[in-house]
Amino acid sequence: MDSLVSRYSRPAYEENEVAFRDEEQQDLELMGAAPPLSLKFAMPPIAQPSSWLRAATDDRSNPDCPIKIAHGTTTLAFRFQGGIIVATDSRATAGNWIASQTVKKVIEINSVLLGTMAGGAADCQYWLAWLGMQCRLHELRHKRRISVAAASKILANLVYNYKGMGLSMGTMCAGVTKEEGPALYYVDSDGTRLAGNLFCVGSGQTFAYGVLDAEYRYDLSDEEAVELGRRSILAATHRDAYSGGFINLYHVKEAGWVKLGFEDTNPIFWKTKLEKGEFTNVTADLN
Amino acid sequence: MTANNTRTASVHDYKEVLLGITGKDFTLIAASKAAMRGATVLKATDDKTRQLNKHTLMAFSGEAGDTVQFAEYIQANSQLYTMRNETDLLPSAVAHFVRGELASSLRSRKPYNVNLLLGGLDPITHKPALYWIDYLAALAPVPYAAHGYAQYYCLSILDKHHHPDITLVQGIKILNMCTDELKRRMPIDFKGMTVKAVTKDGVIDIEFDDDKIVKSA
Amino acid sequence: MSRRYDSRTTIFSPEGRLYQVEYALEAISHAGTAIGILAQDGIVLAAERKVTSKLLEQDTSAEKLYTVNDNMICAVAGMTADANILINYARQAAQRYLLTYNEDIPCEQLVRRLCDLKQSYTQHGGLRPFGVSFIYAGWDPKRQFQLYQSNPSGNYGGWKATAMGANRASAESLLKQDFKEDCNLKDACGLAVKVLSKTMDSTKLNAEKLEFATVGQTSDGKIYHRLWSADEIKQLLKEHDLAKDETTEDK
Repeated sequence: MDSLVSRYSRPAYEENEVAFRDEEQQDLELMGAAPPLSLKFAMPPIAQPSSWLRAATDDRSNPDCPIKIAHGTTTLAFRFQGGIIVATDSRATAGNWIASQTVKKVIEINSVLLGTMAGGAADCQYWLAWLGMQCRLHELRHKRRISVAAASKILANLVYNYKGMGLSMGTMCAGVTKEEGPALYYVDSDGTRLAGNLFCVGSGQTFAYGVLDAEYRYDLSDEEAVELGRRSILAATHRDAYSGGFINLYHVKEAGWVKLGFEDTNPIFWKTKLEKGEFTNVTADLN
Repeated sequence: MTANNTRTASVHDYKEVLLGITGKDFTLIAASKAAMRGATVLKATDDKTRQLNKHTLMAFSGEAGDTVQFAEYIQANSQLYTMRNETDLLPSAVAHFVRGELASSLRSRKPYNVNLLLGGLDPITHKPALYWIDYLAALAPVPYAAHGYAQYYCLSILDKHHHPDITLVQGIKILNMCTDELKRRMPIDFKGMTVKAVTKDGVIDIEFDDDKIVKSA
Repeated sequence: MSRRYDSRTTIFSPEGRLYQVEYALEAISHAGTAIGILAQDGIVLAAERKVTSKLLEQDTSAEKLYTVNDNMICAVAGMTADANILINYARQAAQRYLLTYNEDIPCEQLVRRLCDLKQSYTQHGGLRPFGVSFIYAGWDPKRQFQLYQSNPSGNYGGWKATAMGANRASAESLLKQDFKEDCNLKDACGLAVKVLSKTMDSTKLNAEKLEFATVGQTSDGKIYHRLWSADEIKQLLKEHDLAKDETTEDK
């Protein structure tokens, strides 16, 4: 089936190759000033990259698959009166293995734009870094900063070109611009791109949604918003085995983003339990 | 038994919602009203609970047919015990009995595929009790519990908002937070909840507003 | 007359009696006395040991007092060999209940299980009934401290104070006289030793001839049951001035 399809169809990125680039870009490339763009991204030297990748990485259908992609995560971002709160955990897992507890899942695209990582860590890191480059190029070309809408669309178009080839990303782009105000976009590797007030992404998303939805209001004060973001990630790290480590907190304001902390979940959990009397299902005797 | 008649991976309906919350002097049990088969809702007023004795109530979900058969088998045996001994089994005793029955069924040719929440109130100490039991016969006493996808949406809410000394009114309020979140984020309509509470006076029906429309932020 | 009926356990005589059961009861009336007294904060079981000999290994387990379960002990009167079968049955029944329900079997249920077995030997079989009576002392959360007695017919009842074995009638009348409903465990032990001193043959008691066990509650609310050591029994006898004067014995 795979070979049949590939005989009669060409990957989307090849078809669109010419139409996708604007003239300016082509000129730049002719002068050798532009770096090779994404559309020349090398593919593995095999007949059906997508089915090969699925066979090699899908540990749901094949637990012995040779490549374990880092998947588990909890990330969230929400818009409110004071800007946008972005919060993530910091755990990277590959199968049952905790590969790292200190992953930076918030990517600082530039001084006003943040991206979050969920899904394949390598995919996210690579393409968000690439997005950062595109945003800078946009600035240089147009002498003004890119809108959040445009930045997220660049990413969405990119991943859509690779659709079905095994990319695994769930990301949020958050930023504040003059034209848009605080803006939040969800982009995933299926090609979905959504603007919204509130998103949670990753294996721990439902747990974060639970806490966040229950007390979210647009007119939250800055302090309330930060605490709600922190508490939502904590909820997810408590219930989701694939989330944990540290809580990474950012506040995006009009002047740009501010990093609020990278805090160990463990002391926060015990402080929350003992001082607020929450997590009553945890019955460990402390004496 | 043929060689290929191995146990099929249980196909549970994760869309069925079971919730349980304990408080100061009560245990709340809630179950979704939708009876679903495949893509169809057969009934929108289903009661997925059975009262086992005066102070014990069991909610169930899982394989069609197994659920009610197992629940009523347990109900009959609890009532037989009550008649024989002129005293009710305590919730804890019922829970362990149920676990035992489920565990031996699990090792039979055709096991019951049922997930359960067993709520009760100790009639002597008036302490509430809630037991979470899954189809593999794992039993855990818990202050609050859920089965199916509801676990993913509701446990973080309960982690944050539950306290052991809440009143029934506060309990219902927390239950509402949970069902609101399910309506907001779960992609299917579970047709509202049957809600019952076990109190010192026995099992009582709780009026619950199913018609409220919840929109996400 | 009775010849035709008394060799068969399960057949009524024309007068409506089961002779084998009555013979079993008769056998028990020759066994050592055992009494049980229910107090507000516990229960005492006391029994007279019949087999005392210098040659007997004294430190082996009790002759008439047994632990049935974590929440229950019992005293035996009658054929010890029969009792062993029943006690083993009771222990298994209690453990089976614990396995099923993860809690101790309620006292009366355990007594009833045992009595159902005893009863079955009076109705079918062609076997003789068990020649044992029991006094049970136990505790459960619903009915707190409880005292029961059962006999070979399979009948049982709950008591505040009761006796069985030799001199059972006189022990019972003494108990009826002196038992006070609001007594505590210490008073009950005193009453028990006093009753036994009057119903047993020897005027002065000694620890080797007695067995004591109590069920009670510790200060932190835990239920315990305990078989007394010889020293503790000696101490109790001394307190009530019933001990054999050991100095005179030496002379």
